[in-house]
Amino acid sequence: MVEFLQFTLSGIVFGMIYAAVALSLVLIWRGTRLLNYAQGGMAMFTTYVAIEVIYRTGSYWAGFVVALAAGIVLGAACQLTVIRPTMNKPPLNGVIVTIGLLVLLEGLAGIFFGGQYRSFPAAFSIIGIKAGTTPLGVSRYDVFVVAAVLVTTLVLAVAFKYTTAGLRMRAAAFNATIARLSGIRVARVLTVGWALAGLIGALAGVLVSPSTFLYPNSMDTIFVFGFTAAVIGGLDSPVGAVVGGLLLGIALSYVGGYLGSDLTSVVALGVLVVVLMIRPGGLFSATRVRRV
Amino acid sequence: MSSAAEVAPTAADESSTLVVEGLVAGYGGVIALDGVSISADAAAITAVLGANGAGKTTLLRAISGMIRPRRGHVLLGGTDLTGRNPEQVVRAGIAHVPEGQGVIAELTVEENLRVGMMSWRGASRRPPARAGQVRAANSRAERVAALDEAYERFKPLADRRRKLAATLSGGERQMLVIARALLARPRVLLLDEPSLGLAPRVMTQVMDLVVQLSRENGLTIVLVEQNARAALAVADHGVVLNLGRVVASADARTLAADVTLRHHYLGF
Repeated sequence: MVEFLQFTLSGIVFGMIYAAVALSLVLIWRGTRLLNYAQGGMAMFTTYVAIEVIYRTGSYWAGFVVALAAGIVLGAACQLTVIRPTMNKPPLNGVIVTIGLLVLLEGLAGIFFGGQYRSFPAAFSIIGIKAGTTPLGVSRYDVFVVAAVLVTTLVLAVAFKYTTAGLRMRAAAFNATIARLSGIRVARVLTVGWALAGLIGALAGVLVSPSTFLYPNSMDTIFVFGFTAAVIGGLDSPVGAVVGGLLLGIALSYVGGYLGSDLTSVVALGVLVVVLMIRPGGLFSATRVRRV
Repeated sequence: MSSAAEVAPTAADESSTLVVEGLVAGYGGVIALDGVSISADAAAITAVLGANGAGKTTLLRAISGMIRPRRGHVLLGGTDLTGRNPEQVVRAGIAHVPEGQGVIAELTVEENLRVGMMSWRGASRRPPARAGQVRAANSRAERVAALDEAYERFKPLADRRRKLAATLSGGERQMLVIARALLARPRVLLLDEPSLGLAPRVMTQVMDLVVQLSRENGLTIVLVEQNARAALAVADHGVVLNLGRVVASADARTLAADVTLRHHYLGF
């Protein structure tokens, strides 16, 4: 029973990170119908930026803030330089460009920062919290991870729902033609979408790296899990991304805990295949309204 | 000139006259418009008629900047708008209502209407916090007033403001897209097949609204219609397109009375 609780709680922690990656993928997918294969690579790169800042300044929070800022800049820069020219082209062009971007970022990280595994500091204690004498399997840092992703998601959700900028982004995502005819500068909105995705990806990278080490490919697995979470949620729905992340995180935690951690990647791929076969629109497709 | 000539033309009207000169436009190797020239007078309804593939929709798309014309000009009150993108054209005063009751189904009725105000000055840039406080308040009040005005005119929308646009009927959707276009405060309204798919009674209401917008609000209206009989009944002027060229341009009554033309191009 204690084991089950521990697996569940640590599943929620990792699930929140998958949720963050999924959310960043959904933000770009909604606006451009493009799956950003470079999302993990971008997060890896901004995490390297964070580690350099942390080593130079000695401040975790300086590195944290710089990483998020770097995520915004990197997201916007990628969209403006290499993604924008692929718009109005066959969809495969954009996909190939993001894969190229991933290879480029991983190569550059190897050149600038070296290929060896580097440990990344945690903001808070990683010693497990106990309820009385029972270890819960999560640390204060894990609580911070969950809180950070939750707060970011809530702020985004509120901004999308209640601000004019949020309405502009939703209108552009749902119907770019009507948005443009109404005066919304859709190209600019898409750049903002990439910047936000970069920010959330950077957050995920910084949050996950204390548990995974940092190296040029360190985000690859996290990206696959995040992508699976996004597909479970339906790729179109920010709420679905978060729920999908949580479901996947908890499921993989049980698999890793009871069956062995070697199986988690296989099971994640299995889940992806099953979801695509049974509900290709994702679990949240039923609530989606008909497109006109 | 036109049957609505009882409205005396004023200097202000000049700025609302839409002129299209020798427009050539198409998609890839297909030429959809082959040197089209029309003039839509201020505060009048100009019907653009013709069969499927005549170039009616392409004409509207070229005017609003959704496709770039290869040759020719689009002028609003003498200002050349050729080659501007849709975001700029709506700011210049031309609102385009595309065909198919194009609401944003995933947004609520009120959100759809708010999208209509995105072209307003200051919509994309917030004034500085302290100095601009009064201005920001004014513009917010102005937006609320504009929304109230829209609900006043389109009462069924007021009851459904929190509902998703996907839940509206065809007639309500058409109402919503016209209301949204009007919130951009245009001088020219381009309407693409507003009667398409509507029940006859609802279609009559939409046509009445179009007349009202032209007579009472002084909007310049370009009305693209498959249903030529209904369009000529409300229009002041009619233009008939065939295979991307203008084959007739005359007073709406004259066109409606021309039996040969009706049989050849208008199907009634």
